[in-house]
Amino acid sequence: MKNVLIIVPAFNEESTIENVVKNIVDHGYDYIVINDGSTDNTKKILDDNSYNHIDLIFNLGIGGAVQTGYKYAYKMGYDIAVQMDADGQHEISSVEKIVQPILDGEADLVIGSRFTEKTIGNFKTTAMRRFGIKMISNVIKTLSKKRIYDTTSGFRAANHEVIEVFAKDYPLEYPEPVSEFMLLKSGFKVKEVSAKMHARVGGKSSIHSWKKGYYMINVILSILMIQFRSKKR
Amino acid sequence: MNFRLQIEMVIAAVALLILVVVLLKRNYVSIKSAVVWLLLPIAFMLMAIFVDPLTTLVKWLGFGMLSNFIFVVIIGLLLLLCFFFTIVISKQQKQITELIQELSIIKQKLGKKKDK
Repeated sequence: MKNVLIIVPAFNEESTIENVVKNIVDHGYDYIVINDGSTDNTKKILDDNSYNHIDLIFNLGIGGAVQTGYKYAYKMGYDIAVQMDADGQHEISSVEKIVQPILDGEADLVIGSRFTEKTIGNFKTTAMRRFGIKMISNVIKTLSKKRIYDTTSGFRAANHEVIEVFAKDYPLEYPEPVSEFMLLKSGFKVKEVSAKMHARVGGKSSIHSWKKGYYMINVILSILMIQFRSKKR
Repeated sequence: MNFRLQIEMVIAAVALLILVVVLLKRNYVSIKSAVVWLLLPIAFMLMAIFVDPLTTLVKWLGFGMLSNFIFVVIIGLLLLLCFFFTIVISKQQKQITELIQELSIIKQKLGKKKDK
């Protein structure tokens, strides 16, 4: 049996972190919470409950926090690492589903997707956000010949090889779409499976509404930069 | 006109040189950064010394005035410095991130050992 680590990056998630960790523990998975310099009670909750966690001494942002989790997974010799948000959006019961393609050798990275080709229209979000995700998806498809629908999903499973790559080189800005493109350009197999997700229970999205347009342009430019520098593995 | 420009360039070069040396002596800048900043006074000095061939070159390049050419050279050098510092900042940002991550992981491990 492969050993699986769940990486939970957390920044000011005092209202949800306890339930998220309890759910993970109830399902018997190993986990590590990366407290990204939270200024609320997240650290106190983690300390009081003796939850397995790393307190980053400075706030690094989502990319730096997630990479810390991959470094930990690599050092501890985990076979599979699953990224999961601390805001309660990701359903723990879907972990098995997104890990399965790795166990079957079908993929190196599996994305738990909120929507696929058929369901993209049903994805309940703003038109601007849908447009942004579609544009990023189109750019990735054009440059890598692989369609990824939910490019910004933070619910992902990585095999040992990808854990090693991410531990050494992980984009600090716009990490999800950029890292997926990085892997595709390096010849890794990326697969998307639909995963059950809840509406955000607490906390705030890291992408604020007025920043969405700016986010999309930056992601596309970052992907173009990766296109110039990427090497085949 | 050119003589006045020559004097001004020498003054600017000496002033910059003094500034770089003072900053270096007080340990405010590293030798590597100071050397990069020396590019500007060196360029000023060279332009002040070789003003006649420079004037010919400037005319051949199509500049109306020598001062315009000097501005272009200065802007070019400043852009080069910007690129240099962008490279330095990017490298240091990566190193700082790595340090924060490794230190935080070590702190977690130490905390666990202490608890046992």
